[in-house]
Parts: sequence; C-alpha cells; structure tokens
Amino acid sequence: MKKHWLLGIVTILILSLVTACSSGKGGEGASSSAPAASGKGGSKKELNILMETVPDTEMVQKVTEKFTQETGIKVNIEAVNYASMHEKLVPQLLGATSSYDLIVVDNYWVGEFTDAGWLEPLDSFIKRDKFDTSVYLKSMFDMVGQVEGTTYMLPFYNYAMALIYRKDVFEDADLKSKYQAEAGKELKIPDTLEEYVNISKFITKQKGESMYGSVMMGLRPDPISVEWLNYLYSSGGDFYNGDNTLRINDDKAVKALELYVDNMKNAAPKGAAGFGFDEAFNVFAQGNAASFITYNWMLPKLQNAAESKVAGKVDIASVPGGTSLNGGWGWAIPKNAEDKEASWQYLKWIESFDAAKERALLGGSPTRKDVLADSDVLGQFPHYVKVQKILEASKMIPIIPQAPQLIEILGRELSEAVSGGKSPKDALDTVAKDVGQLK
Amino acid sequence: MLSEKRKSFLIFFLPSMIVLAATVLYPLIYALFMSFTDSSLKRRGLGDFIGLDNYIRIFHDTHFIGSVWTTTVFTVLVVTLEFVFGFIVALMLNRIRFGKKIFFTIIIIPMLITPVAVGLIWRLLLHPDLGIVNYMLSLFGVEGHAWLGDSSLAMFTVVMIDIWHQVPFMILLLLAGLVSMPSEPYEAAKIDGAGRLQTFWTITVPLMKETIIVAILFRAITAIKTYDLIFVLTKGGPGTTTEVISYHIYKQAYTFLDTGYASAMSYLLLLVILLLSIAFIRVSRGKPQAQ
Repeated sequence: MKKHWLLGIVTILILSLVTACSSGKGGEGASSSAPAASGKGGSKKELNILMETVPDTEMVQKVTEKFTQETGIKVNIEAVNYASMHEKLVPQLLGATSSYDLIVVDNYWVGEFTDAGWLEPLDSFIKRDKFDTSVYLKSMFDMVGQVEGTTYMLPFYNYAMALIYRKDVFEDADLKSKYQAEAGKELKIPDTLEEYVNISKFITKQKGESMYGSVMMGLRPDPISVEWLNYLYSSGGDFYNGDNTLRINDDKAVKALELYVDNMKNAAPKGAAGFGFDEAFNVFAQGNAASFITYNWMLPKLQNAAESKVAGKVDIASVPGGTSLNGGWGWAIPKNAEDKEASWQYLKWIESFDAAKERALLGGSPTRKDVLADSDVLGQFPHYVKVQKILEASKMIPIIPQAPQLIEILGRELSEAVSGGKSPKDALDTVAKDVGQLK
Repeated sequence: MLSEKRKSFLIFFLPSMIVLAATVLYPLIYALFMSFTDSSLKRRGLGDFIGLDNYIRIFHDTHFIGSVWTTTVFTVLVVTLEFVFGFIVALMLNRIRFGKKIFFTIIIIPMLITPVAVGLIWRLLLHPDLGIVNYMLSLFGVEGHAWLGDSSLAMFTVVMIDIWHQVPFMILLLLAGLVSMPSEPYEAAKIDGAGRLQTFWTITVPLMKETIIVAILFRAITAIKTYDLIFVLTKGGPGTTTEVISYHIYKQAYTFLDTGYASAMSYLLLLVILLLSIAFIRVSRGKPQAQ
C-alpha cells in the first residue's frame, strides 16, 4: 500500500513536470505575436516603472509630481537594489504581459534585451512627435539609445568613469621637487598610464601608509573588470577588432594588465586586491589615497563634507591615456507593456529639456548636451565641462548578449593575474579562449 | 475499505507529504530532469534532451575540479578545527557551576547571525586600512595583513570567520551529549582510580560517539554547501583561491544562465553528500549492530 502511494505521487509529479515543460514551450510561440500597437489616446491612468535605488531615481521621483499634475496620470516608481533588478525584470519581460510600463536598462543588459526582442522600438514615436535625439551625447546614444540603427531607448543617466584626484597632493611643493629630482619630470596629472603608475608608485613610496598613490578595487568580478577596462581602453586596446575577432590578449591589452598589476602591487593599499567599490571609496574619502578611478558622479559626493574628509580638495580629470569606461542607463518600453502610448507620453516628458534640466540641477547625471552646457547647470556644477569631454571620449563594454558572462570571465582572470596565479599574458589568453567559446 | 487506524494515519500523513512533495520532491525531480537537458534561463521551457552531456562536461571543467579541491580543503579544515574547539569548550562548560547560562548565551550569539551579515561585519572589521583588526594588531606592534586580498591568506581568513560563526553549533550539540550522559560510569571510574585523561578516552569518547558523529556529519554537509560566506567575503577570489563548488554552481546558473549544466553539478554534489551521509550512518551504527 505504502509503495503504491509513493508511486502515485511520483507519477503525478512527473506528469505535472511534463505538462509544465510543454506549456512553457507552447507559451513561447504564443507570445511572439506582438500585441497590435494601440492607437492614440493613452487612456491608462497609472504607470508602473522599475528602477534602481540610486540618486538619479530620487530626482526622477521629485520632478514626476509635475507630470501627474499636468496629465492626471499617476506614476508608481518601484525602486529596488541593483542585484535584484535583473531577476525581477526577466520574468516580466518573458511573460505575455508585463506589469511594468517603463523600465530602465543598464548598458550591460542592452545586448541581451534587444537580442531577445524584449524592447519596443521607439522610432515611430520619435518620428511622429519629432522628438530630437541629436541632443544626446553620441557616446551615450550609441550605448543606451540605438542598437544597429534602431532606437530602443532614450539615455537616462551616465556613469562614465574618470580619474578623481587630490589637488593638494598633486600640488604639494615638497613632492613636486622630489619627483622632479627623481624622474626628471614635473609632477602633474599625467597623460599616459605608464606615467600615472610611476607617479602613483612614487607617492606611495614617499608617503608610505598615510597616503597611497592610488586606491584600487580588485574584487571579482565587476569592480576589477570595470577598473581595468579603463586601463585597457586608455592603452588603445579593446575587446574586438573591427571584424569582430577578439583582440583582448594582444600586446596593448597585456601591457595594460602589466601596468594594472604593477600599480596594484606597488602603489595601492595592501588588500586592494580584495576591495569592492565601497571599501576603495572609503579609503579615498578618509584621505588616504591621492587618486581613484571611479564614477564621475562620485565627485559631488566626495566634495560633501558630511560624507568625506577630503571635501574641497578633490578634482576630476580624464583617465590618463584619455579613454575611460563609459556606462549608463536607458529608458525603454517593454514590448509586452499594456499601453505603450501612455508609456511614451511619460518618457517624452521626463526626457524633455525642462525635466532633464530640473533633474540635473538636483544633482542628476545628464546625458543631453544642451543640459550639460546649460548656464544654470554649469553654474552649479562647473566640472561638467570636463565631464562632457570625458563622456565624449569614453568607450563602452561591447554590446553583446553575453556581456555579464564576459565580465565574469574577465574578472576571474584579472584577479588571477593580480594574485600571481597567472602571468598577465596567460590570464588574457584564457579570457580570449573562454570568451570565444561563449554561446 | 480503509480501517479507522489507516484513515487517521492518512489524515495526519497526507498534508505533510503534500507539502514535502511540493517543496522538496518536485524541485528535486525537476532539477534531475533539467540536468539532462540544455536548459537555459535565456529561453522558456526546458530545452532539448542531451543525455549525459552535462555530466561529461563536468569532468572537463577545470574550474569545477579546482573548486572541488578548494571545497575539500575548506571542509576538512573547518570541520576539524570546529570540532576540536567545540569539544574543548563544551567540556569546559560542562564542568563549571556558576555563570554557565551567561557563557552559554554569549557563545551562542554568532550562530544566531545570518551568514551574509557575518560576512559584511567581518569585511568591515578586516579592512586592511580602516578596519579595527589591523589597528588592534598595530597597538601590539604586529604588522597587519591584507586578510581577504592576499591570495595566500584569503582561505585562512574565510576558515577563521566560518569557525567564529559555526563553533557555537558544535558546542550546542556536544554539550547536549555531555549533559545527557549517565553519571554511573564516572563514579565507577573514580572508585577504580582512573585519571582524568583515562576517563576521557575510555568513558567520555565512547559514550559520546554517536553525538560526535552526528555533529561532524551535520557540519561536513553544511560546510560542503557553503556559499553565502564566500559570496559576501571574496566572490571566489583572489584569483580562484576561495572558489567553492556551490559558488561555482551559482555562477553557472545565474551568470552563465546555464541551468541544465548547473543542475548536473548540483546533482553530483548531492550524490557526494548522500554517500557521505550513508558512510557516516554506517560507521555510527558500528559493525556488531549491523543486522
């Protein structure tokens, strides 16, 4: 008797498994017939948006009240932690309908989302309403705007990386004269990575544990990857050649990694090989490091005396070598959104010059050239002149569906090189081999 | 017809069985099924049946083999050290008369903290520049270390943190065993003039055998599955020095989205744990009792 019961339960389970599996496959076919574009109107009275808990989201929340007053459409912004965003989004995008009318997309995910056909092309809306997309910085629009000629997103905010440094250290007369004597050169913000690493090592050698030449972040997988990509791009290296063949293990890349390892071993604080973003930031904010390659919008945070001990002593510059890692988020309408017209109405509004400027004045990171160059905005944030240059020269992580996997592999091998497990050349050869095998 | 007894048995048995089936059995069978497919989070449904390909792939995966070694080292170190510490503390706690409850409460606190919080707390404490551990060491003139950033130290650091976190569990189990021991053998040993060490080896250890085996088995199984601590502390780094099996599986499933392959590895891990459990149970029953 007992055995029969168990057998019965197992049979039911297997049956339900088989049906679940087949219904999954059936559903895929059904969802591919995209819902017909709804006509004009925008009858929806409530919009749901999934966003990340970052300062820029707060600014959106602040200005959105105006939109509700103007149109009567309520906007619910669900802000969640970055780590849970992707896993919240994917099931929604896979389903027949999405509970989100608008989403924000990290540049990491652009390849994956557009490849899967989850995002609604915006071209027809843009054309109809004559929305000018030429106001966006090209580097932003190429990353979180259009993919291969189709516009899927409007750039929301930027998080390009830059060199943040201590003015007082780089202007220190004693250090300057010593460096002149030792290297025969002036101590200033360098133009090449090679000189940057030399200066960095020099400062650490002179000041010991009270002031490191640079603070770095070597934790797997994202911190070390994004930091090193600044070295790669600034050395003239890249992931792919023009013809899509990999060049991640060429001489320029190996040189970039050698410099990175040299800086990590001989200039960065002990243990930086295990630092995540917060740990590195804290070392800099406590005044123990002379330079830090980080997101450009960290500067206002570091200039705020409530959060950092170095307020008033820091400035921003391009990463030595000139090409930093670009990053950004884009607004997109899910293909399975209920009322795309209503979503577009809001999108058009929040990305209008006035709303974008208001967000920028509250401290948001602009993506529009006209906002970056606006006199009110510049009056409040004079460093945006430099930021615009940095943004224009910066380069993104390749837009491919496998970007997250790419970063995982890269992070692992970079960490191997830093910890001495592999030589820079071997580590990058492994990256090339593993990335080449990604499906 | 069902007898009354059988009916009431079913009424009490079925609900728990249904819950177990839905939450344990179903996912297990689903995962087993998945391990024979090329299922991926990138698409809906289970994907195609590919036979044993996933299992064959495991043995060509150098990172998996590396993580097996790392996990073995971690488990052996952690279980041995925790057992030794735990037993010593349990023996001491068993002997003291006053303040037992206070000591016990303090010792048990780490166990009540979730592993993620433990990891985050220790990351702060162990920050090479701003953390309190290196500061305290410097007061005694000892040079601090890059606890988690140094590839030769990271494993040691993770092991130490795990010990801090999990020793209370050992103490709890072993102390329970010690408390429930009969006092007669000890009295007899005293009369016969046995020394402390002799009493320990000939009475305490044999009588505690079952408890000890249960404690070690429990800890070994949870140690093999360790994931959260590594995720928070090192993400498997520096290099791959602390990359344990569970973390490797997690990445295959959620970064590489390769759920079929991840299920196959999970099943292999499950098999190892099952074998381990059977072996331990066999040993704990002892030969004379077998049938």
